[in-house]
Amino acid sequence: MNVLVLSGYGINCENETLHAFEVVGFKGKIIHINDLIQNPKQLNNYQVFAIPGGFSYGDDTGSGNAMAKKIMTNLYDQLIDFSLKDKLIIGICNGCQILINLGLVPSLNKKDPEVALIENKSGSYECRWVDVKVSNNKSPWLKNISTLNLPVAHQEGQFMIPINLLKSIKANNLIGLQYINHRKKLAKGQFPFNPNGSKDDIAALTNQNGNVLAMMPHPERAFYNYHIPNWQSKTLKKFGDGYKIFMNAKKFFA
Amino acid sequence: MTNTIQILSIEKTGKESSLQKEHNNKSIKIIDGYFFSTNLDDQKFTKISKLISNDVSQTILTKKNVNKVLSSYSNFNWVVEIKFLPGVTDNIATTVKEIIKDNLKSSFKSFELGSTKIILIKGRKEDITKISKNEANPLIQTINIYPFKKYLNNFKKNQFKIEKVKLPKKKYSKKEINLNISDDQLSLIGKLGIEENDKSRRGTLGLDLESLKAIRNYFSTIKRKPTDVEIETLAQTWSEHCKHKIFSAKIDDIHEGIFKKYIKGATEKIIQLRKDNFCVSLFTDNAGGIEFNKDWIICHKVETHNTPSALDPFGGAITGIVGVNRDCLGFGKGAKPIANTYAYYLADPNKKYQLYRQKNKDPMLPANFIAKGIISGVRVGGNCSGIPTPQGNVYFDDRFAGKPLVFCGTVGIIPKKIKGKLSHKKKANPGDIILMAGGRVGKDGIHGATFSSEELDPNSPVSAVQIGDPITQKKMSDVIIRELRDENLYSSITDNGAGGLSSSIGEMAKESGGFIVNLEKVPLKYNGLYPWEIWVSESQERMTLAVPPKNVKKVIKKFNARGVEATIIGKFIKKEKAIVKYNKTEILNLDMEFLHEGYPKLNLKTSFPKIKKEKKKIIKKSFLIDKLHKLLSSPNIVSKEFIATQYDHEVQATSIIKPLQGEGRVFGNATAIKPLFDDEKSIALSQAAYPQYAETNPYDMAGCTIDTAYKNLIVSGANSKKIAILDNFCWCSSDEPDRLYQLKEAAKACYDYAVSYQTPFISGKDSMFNDFKGFDKTGKSVKISIPPTLLISSIGVVDKISHLTKLTPDDGDILVVLGNTRNELQDSVYSKIIGYEKSKNPVVNSKDALRTYRNFEKANKLGIINSAIGIDLGGIGIAVTKMAIASKKGLTIDLKLKNKISVDQFLFSETQSRILVSMKKNKLANFKKIFKASDYTIIGKCTGSDVIEFKDNKKIMRGKILDFAKSYKQNIKGL
Repeated sequence: MNVLVLSGYGINCENETLHAFEVVGFKGKIIHINDLIQNPKQLNNYQVFAIPGGFSYGDDTGSGNAMAKKIMTNLYDQLIDFSLKDKLIIGICNGCQILINLGLVPSLNKKDPEVALIENKSGSYECRWVDVKVSNNKSPWLKNISTLNLPVAHQEGQFMIPINLLKSIKANNLIGLQYINHRKKLAKGQFPFNPNGSKDDIAALTNQNGNVLAMMPHPERAFYNYHIPNWQSKTLKKFGDGYKIFMNAKKFFA
Repeated sequence: MTNTIQILSIEKTGKESSLQKEHNNKSIKIIDGYFFSTNLDDQKFTKISKLISNDVSQTILTKKNVNKVLSSYSNFNWVVEIKFLPGVTDNIATTVKEIIKDNLKSSFKSFELGSTKIILIKGRKEDITKISKNEANPLIQTINIYPFKKYLNNFKKNQFKIEKVKLPKKKYSKKEINLNISDDQLSLIGKLGIEENDKSRRGTLGLDLESLKAIRNYFSTIKRKPTDVEIETLAQTWSEHCKHKIFSAKIDDIHEGIFKKYIKGATEKIIQLRKDNFCVSLFTDNAGGIEFNKDWIICHKVETHNTPSALDPFGGAITGIVGVNRDCLGFGKGAKPIANTYAYYLADPNKKYQLYRQKNKDPMLPANFIAKGIISGVRVGGNCSGIPTPQGNVYFDDRFAGKPLVFCGTVGIIPKKIKGKLSHKKKANPGDIILMAGGRVGKDGIHGATFSSEELDPNSPVSAVQIGDPITQKKMSDVIIRELRDENLYSSITDNGAGGLSSSIGEMAKESGGFIVNLEKVPLKYNGLYPWEIWVSESQERMTLAVPPKNVKKVIKKFNARGVEATIIGKFIKKEKAIVKYNKTEILNLDMEFLHEGYPKLNLKTSFPKIKKEKKKIIKKSFLIDKLHKLLSSPNIVSKEFIATQYDHEVQATSIIKPLQGEGRVFGNATAIKPLFDDEKSIALSQAAYPQYAETNPYDMAGCTIDTAYKNLIVSGANSKKIAILDNFCWCSSDEPDRLYQLKEAAKACYDYAVSYQTPFISGKDSMFNDFKGFDKTGKSVKISIPPTLLISSIGVVDKISHLTKLTPDDGDILVVLGNTRNELQDSVYSKIIGYEKSKNPVVNSKDALRTYRNFEKANKLGIINSAIGIDLGGIGIAVTKMAIASKKGLTIDLKLKNKISVDQFLFSETQSRILVSMKKNKLANFKKIFKASDYTIIGKCTGSDVIEFKDNKKIMRGKILDFAKSYKQNIKGL
């Protein structure tokens, strides 16, 4: 089981993302986008492709846009090919923004991006912990998980989806995660439970097969118990909720 | 054909909403504009606009649709176009250029482009003027206001103009400066700069007459005239910013100066007493380094960026944070930045100070513009770099109206050994190539070092402002830390900060002997820079490396593969000479000794200051609960949550004690990160400053500051033997004897308390002239000096996860105050907000304090302590309230008063060295085995209800936690 963790141009969560994969049993490597473009064939050595969080190109021209354009020009076919195999792709935060800009999720009518991630309703960067529920149990990434407590950290995390598309996203069961409130009910757009004003409290989307997951919250930052806010007041465990996502990737190949 | 691409968001953006709210106008729309230097044909227009926009959320304006699209939002009638001035860093434009080059490859090569913010409104001209004042800074941006009709016309006729750098095509010929002139003329060179052929002046050199005379003497001995480059270089190298002349000067009877005696002296004394390996690298490098564990070193550095932040708050602050990141990159062989810290000392953002640098013109930026700009500058710098920013604070006082203080710090980590060699040791060897990596050089930041050493006055140069580019730096930093350092491919590395190449190469060459630089090799942002400008420019995101010739190709290749430029610009030599050439003409040739040590040493005298009497504000009788609300909502106590949530403190997955603590999210005094996945040790961080105490007694002020910075780490669970501190002195009018007296006193306290606490100073920085000289709105001349401010940053190692404490008590816990409370209300928040009472200023008794701290540490390790908070601003009253808000659990406080003090004195006195702790009832017996009865007071317990109750002999006063939380979480007016 090998994971390729992408880096370069301002991506910055590659170390902790790789670490999370390694702890659950993957072998992995951080690979710079330029090296991957030079030798795209190395993708064949990997079962998981992870685009971590960060600020690729400083979010200029819209978060994830510039990196998505770089991938589109240089690696698009290879990545599509990867997504059509029995392999997994995850994009976290900036990685999510890149996958959305690439149109790899929800990927209902292929090629062009159909969904946008726009600035948070609050107008400001939000670094805070949220609760999300799993809305789609068919994605291998999300199997047997009900809720997760994870941090978000973004300026542009509001999913903007045209109405018709939203209908088919729901019909096809492609919503991965949704923000919930302290009563474990959908946040209904209410801040801070829904930190960005996302439509239908969407925090993550998948493609049709469920093997590609684009999520705004950061599972790798909720990996150990001590990552959780006020962990000292809580029961002692080794891992936080983010661990479950990485474990699911392992189970998929087990 | 068109020369512009303009894009707008279909739905209202967050920025648009906040503008609409702020200006009470629903018809405001923002357009992202890109102006090109050449026309784009339709095919290119379509292709490029698709590359830089989003089909789903944005609309691209074209000549055909512009009218229709915009009129669907409103009947706009005014437009403001905000562009960067020529030469100012335009990060968005850089990205767009890169996207275009990557995608269109060779088909579209030579073009310039600038990013523009265009704001449309329906309203009056006054409205758009007001908006433009809030959204743009005339120092770095051009602001064009015109009617909407003209905008449509510009669109149709391709009349949007890009701001290009237009430097006259000038040929450099070596310029020699005659210094055999009158003292007055000589002084003029120091103050206004070297005279150009057209009689204009280059801008301040910050050289005083004595220094210029020293230069004159040197050149008369070597029998030639100095070149302009030599004078510029000496000005940079000798600046207060680089040489810290005041700290090293003889002062009264202290011949070695206060730095050597009190700061370095303290550390040397401590090292001598400790006899361990804790201190690794102190004072000599870009940051100070201490041992983290057997394999790793951590380093810390805190810088100020005050003057640039006064002129361009966003640019000043972002440059501050990415600049101090480079200090870590330049520590030893290059440490990886793992945490940022910040501290801002600002004027009240809700007040209008109306200050002018010149009579009736050149206004200072409004206080709220400065505050917002600073806060967002560090946000963008920290977040974009992928470095967590957990630790910080903000303090408000009117005396920062003329100059805000912006402290930016970074913690780095580096393995002790790299390929068997000690990583903190570095040495540029003779023959090593001088390699400049990262960004290019432009006119930005010319004269930064010399001018930050001066007071802010009408002659302050505006070209001194730079804007950081965190992504360029991140790319460079990744190459250095991941691909070069551990291969041992270079022999030394340092950062290009103040003074640019002249400083970085000048400093590094001390390791080898000297250097030869060929300035024409330096890559430029645009042509037309004079050699002296290239040499001293402070363009950001650059590191200088000393690379053995055999590795040079490999190193350059590695940089280039990651989209980073690296250029050979010279070599290090053994001979102790500083030599700079430009197209083979030698324009600088100085002895290294003179370059670094030739400046005249100051001889300073101090005098006891006149004590300014505080205006007495009579206490209005009010209820205790009301007083608590007033204090909680006062700007220096109120929660800074709005900053904590916009600074990513989770990136790198190291956050273990977060800035917001407890379910009730209280802004903590200290934070902690766990930097290594395979070691449970953490790094605890805190900081303190008490400018409000300074005028009363600077010695006690410094004592309180060190005590608080130390205490916060002890409270967080740090090992008392593994705490180090950093000093940042921000002073005012440091040419006046009474200010120097205060400085000397504060420095003396630094020695005394650091030695008592056994906390070495590992790094520090000073900024001595934080004064504003200008005019008020009536044209009267005013001088506003900051209160002397000493920021002490503390960094410590927490050995075990179980030692980390929490802020939240549990039901049934007993509440205990460790340390005694005295009537020390002078200069307290209480005396400012509630009213003055005859009282004393807080004084630290280090013996008592250390007993409390050692006992606390012991009790914490034994698991006796359940929760803890350091008591500082607002005293016990605020500490208990914060505990209740954090835990959402009620408390009962028994006001048993000792030492004849009143209720208010007991609750709000800012006596130092106290900790509020809670513990389970059954731990009390063990607690008493450690603490003497006279060292603590049991003040109540945690009831778990929804109120805080204060009981004295006669009555019970109650307040709801929810209400207290509301007061504590109020917005700061003006922000």
